[in-house]
Amino acid sequence: MTVSPVDVVIFAPLAPLFGVLLFWFIQLVFIESQKYLLSKIWDRHKPLCRFTNFLGILYQTICHALGYTLTKSGISNFYVSINYGKVAPKKEKKGMFEWMSNSFLFIGPFFIPAVLLLICFFLIKGSGVDIAQSIEHTFAEGMINFGTNLYAFSESLFGFLANIDLLHPAHLGFLMLLIFLGMGIRPSYIGEEKRRKVNMLYDLQNIQVHILHKPLYILILFLMAYILSYISVLLKTNWYTVLFSIFGWLSIIAIVALFITHLIILLIKTTDEFPRYWRHLPYLTIFLSYILMRIVFYFFPIDHLRTVSLFVMVLSTIVVVFLLLKYKTNKFKTVTKMKQLRVEDGPKRSIRK
Amino acid sequence: MDQNDLLENEHVEKILSPHPLSFMKLQSLCLFLIIWGVLVGWLVNFSEYKDLFSGNEWFPLLAWGLVLLLVGIIASLLTIRWSIFFLYLGVFAGGVGLMLSQGRLVDSGVFIPFYSVAVSIIGFLIVELYRRSHKYIISNLRIIFKGGVVTKRERTLRYDKITDINAKQGVLGQIFGFGTIIPISQSGFGLGSDQSFAAGGVELGTKKAGFLGIFGGGKEVQTPRARSYYELHGVHPYKEIKHLVENMVQENVITPYQQEQVAVQKEQVDVQKQMRDLLKKQIGSKEEQEEEEPES
Repeated sequence: MTVSPVDVVIFAPLAPLFGVLLFWFIQLVFIESQKYLLSKIWDRHKPLCRFTNFLGILYQTICHALGYTLTKSGISNFYVSINYGKVAPKKEKKGMFEWMSNSFLFIGPFFIPAVLLLICFFLIKGSGVDIAQSIEHTFAEGMINFGTNLYAFSESLFGFLANIDLLHPAHLGFLMLLIFLGMGIRPSYIGEEKRRKVNMLYDLQNIQVHILHKPLYILILFLMAYILSYISVLLKTNWYTVLFSIFGWLSIIAIVALFITHLIILLIKTTDEFPRYWRHLPYLTIFLSYILMRIVFYFFPIDHLRTVSLFVMVLSTIVVVFLLLKYKTNKFKTVTKMKQLRVEDGPKRSIRK
Repeated sequence: MDQNDLLENEHVEKILSPHPLSFMKLQSLCLFLIIWGVLVGWLVNFSEYKDLFSGNEWFPLLAWGLVLLLVGIIASLLTIRWSIFFLYLGVFAGGVGLMLSQGRLVDSGVFIPFYSVAVSIIGFLIVELYRRSHKYIISNLRIIFKGGVVTKRERTLRYDKITDINAKQGVLGQIFGFGTIIPISQSGFGLGSDQSFAAGGVELGTKKAGFLGIFGGGKEVQTPRARSYYELHGVHPYKEIKHLVENMVQENVITPYQQEQVAVQKEQVDVQKQMRDLLKKQIGSKEEQEEEEPES
């Protein structure tokens, strides 16, 4: 098969870039959705929302501080609270350095917490992920390799999550970290006080302003990406795709973390509708069903006992929630009320009979 | 608060007690005991490292105690409170004593987690009892701090005696909306000090005659600090209480304008007094004249 030089020189380097952008946008949609859900439970769960704010600001501030450290600006002041974070540099640097530290501030929170999770994941799992080898450096090949790397990683991550042992301290710690990072992977927060309207494109606007402020730097970054791609072609390696695949992995981890956080927030939101003591039942079911299954399987071991335990835990929680919704609320409209009969006695007034 | 305890024209604004999470420093000591105890249980019974502990029946006990005491030392050094170390030492000694007396050394992998959880539950209950022993009464005239599990303590602070208010809110406080307010009195009650000291020594001459010199230096920084019985510890809702106390202090402090008014009034009283004295003198002299005239 003949490879077009135009494809190798111009289009091939763009393939993994497009892939990263796609996943990043999916991540962004999840982030906005999480913000919306949090604003819905704000009134009843202020401490939880403040906690998520704190996590978001903490990651953002750490990323900003990291940006200043890497650009050798130094840090003179570091302050984090539940609604405000501030990092002041020792030396005010202009130009490329300032732009880089701002990039860490705006884009860092999307990826840097996920880096921590990725490291933890590899440490717990104790093995890496198979990387796809490039044969031809074309746009299509780049996309396929990027997709293959992402698939291999997803298979490994979901396999681990499906077999997670919640009685293993390291596994439990990883899950907790996943939830905590999921709550904080968002570069902006919903604020100390409830906002009636959550700005869905706030983060994108920030990044857009940041990019348009210095378009030359973006051009330089593109150029660097192209150069790295050409070096990969010349050395006949797949460094370029692997580098961007790592960004894809980070996005996948972030999306998974956000998905789990979504489930937790949805559970909280649903249980709020139950009467006072009943609302604790689904949470008790989560713990009790899992521990019960593990005790049963300890005495009567079966294959895939962790997966089965997890499945039973999730299923029993869903069943309990639905039963409570049916019998303790009128969510499914099963409890019909007698409609009040109204007899009209005029164009505007009505009399209740 | 009993109505008899109130002064004349006094009414209670708020009765407060610390937030359940405001003693997290103490609660975290119990929390660590649970986590470490359960972790030891898991390591000895279920983990891939369980063979390491099967060599000797003392191994799980030593591992548990060693980490417990090490954490106790680190926590004591960081908080400058040796009671944490002695607390963990007591827990460890109690565990060892109980295990030996009951002959449960072989089952230490099971005993340690259960013992840790039991001790922690007792710890949590003691902390809760301690928390509930605090009561802060904010009236329109003063703040009354009451507390004590066995020995009852009470401090009364009038608003006009408060010179400064220190307020602090940790991350947990910011999340759950509680914080600590320390009213500092004119006598300096509510102030503590942080001390740091560095010292070094040199010895000259090692064979027969030696000279030893020690040099050092220290510094002290005054900082708002009081025992939880004598401050508004972990009160909820923090912002509202802080605002209330600040308002009360403001209402009881004489402002410069009011001071000026008082000075003017004092001056007027002095003038009136002088006038009264003069009038008295005049009346006195008139009466004397009238008495003298009929005689003449």
